[in-house]
Amino acid sequence: MKKLWKIFNGGLVFENPLLVLMIGLCSSMAVTSTVSNGIGMGLSMTFVLLFSEIFVSAFRKIIPSSVRMPVFLIIIGGFTTIVDLVLKAYFPALSKSMGVFIPLIVVNCIIMGRVEAFSYKQSVLASIFDSFGMGLGYTWVLVGMSAFREVLGNGTFLGIQVMPQSYQPILFFILPPGGFLIFGLFIAFNIWNKNRLTRKAEAKENA
Amino acid sequence: MKGNSRLGFILAIFAAVGCGSLAVVQAITAPAIAMQSQKALNESLRELFPDATSFEDISSSITSSSPAVKFEEAYLVKSAMAPLGVAIKASGSSYGGTAKLLVGVGLARSIAGVKVLELSDTAGLGMNAMSDAYYVDKANKITFPGQFKDKFITDSFEVKKDVVAITAATITSRSLTAIVKAASEAGAAWIESSAMAGAAPGGK
Repeated sequence: MKKLWKIFNGGLVFENPLLVLMIGLCSSMAVTSTVSNGIGMGLSMTFVLLFSEIFVSAFRKIIPSSVRMPVFLIIIGGFTTIVDLVLKAYFPALSKSMGVFIPLIVVNCIIMGRVEAFSYKQSVLASIFDSFGMGLGYTWVLVGMSAFREVLGNGTFLGIQVMPQSYQPILFFILPPGGFLIFGLFIAFNIWNKNRLTRKAEAKENA
Repeated sequence: MKGNSRLGFILAIFAAVGCGSLAVVQAITAPAIAMQSQKALNESLRELFPDATSFEDISSSITSSSPAVKFEEAYLVKSAMAPLGVAIKASGSSYGGTAKLLVGVGLARSIAGVKVLELSDTAGLGMNAMSDAYYVDKANKITFPGQFKDKFITDSFEVKKDVVAITAATITSRSLTAIVKAASEAGAAWIESSAMAGAAPGGK
């Protein structure tokens, strides 16, 4: 159990896909201009990651390593299409607001990266924990970044006006350069947090 | 060689299972998807033509004259009494990707209304075209697509002249205006040709 918890926790802080592994950056920069986009992208990516990891892990013994990449692609692409179709058929409003991100999920390197580096070698249970850790690690960074960008750059949070009317939105934060600046600050924060946690753990060991 | 064919076989099985499950999901969801999109379309057509009661698909008989603008669907909108106009779902490229508009053309060679269906431009700038709370004319509360209502097809459709641009989103304003122009011209041309065709037997 402790090992599984460590896998989950790794995705959130120590091996955060965006802030430490630095994969899946393109989508994170593109969608974080509003909070609702950040939440939508984070959750749909977590969903696809979960099922791709489960399936790859379950079939890992019968997937020959020389054709593993095309097989992964079939599994990831298949799940993304299923998510897309189901959303379109039964949740049209959600599908409409997330329509642009669904194709982005297929090319999200976090999924390919985790499937290849983790679930192809690990058990189904460990893969489930890894996908939740990585998925939520991705989601919290997206939501955090988009909160800063939307509030500072547009004066709103989830579409609701939060800044006083006299506040002149700083468009810089909505545009890509502002995204990079916020992203850099998040990396800095994560390194500080990581060092803090490591020191704490060391102090506990020594004591 | 034997090893290779084994790999190919395994890959083929995965692909076949993947395709099979997608086919099943597609078969289950297809009717629901068609119903949803029909419902959404009817709602937006009614927004442009509030008196409309029925729509007739005329997608095959109307084509875009501009290479940059594609027409996906077109409908002849009718009320209980008489035809009201033509609505065209047109798409073209904008700043951040494809933009889809629904353009309604009335019988009087003027635009009945414009609705932005899809747009993926910069939030806070180009996306203001979709916002109900962004006004190009604050005094009269007119939105960017709203300003095309009742505009004549023969107008010049030039941004910053007879079309008010969205602040700091000139590319979005220009591309959307170009789509509106292409769709309204084609719609007006269709009405004219069909009115003449309809007038011939009726005149006798």
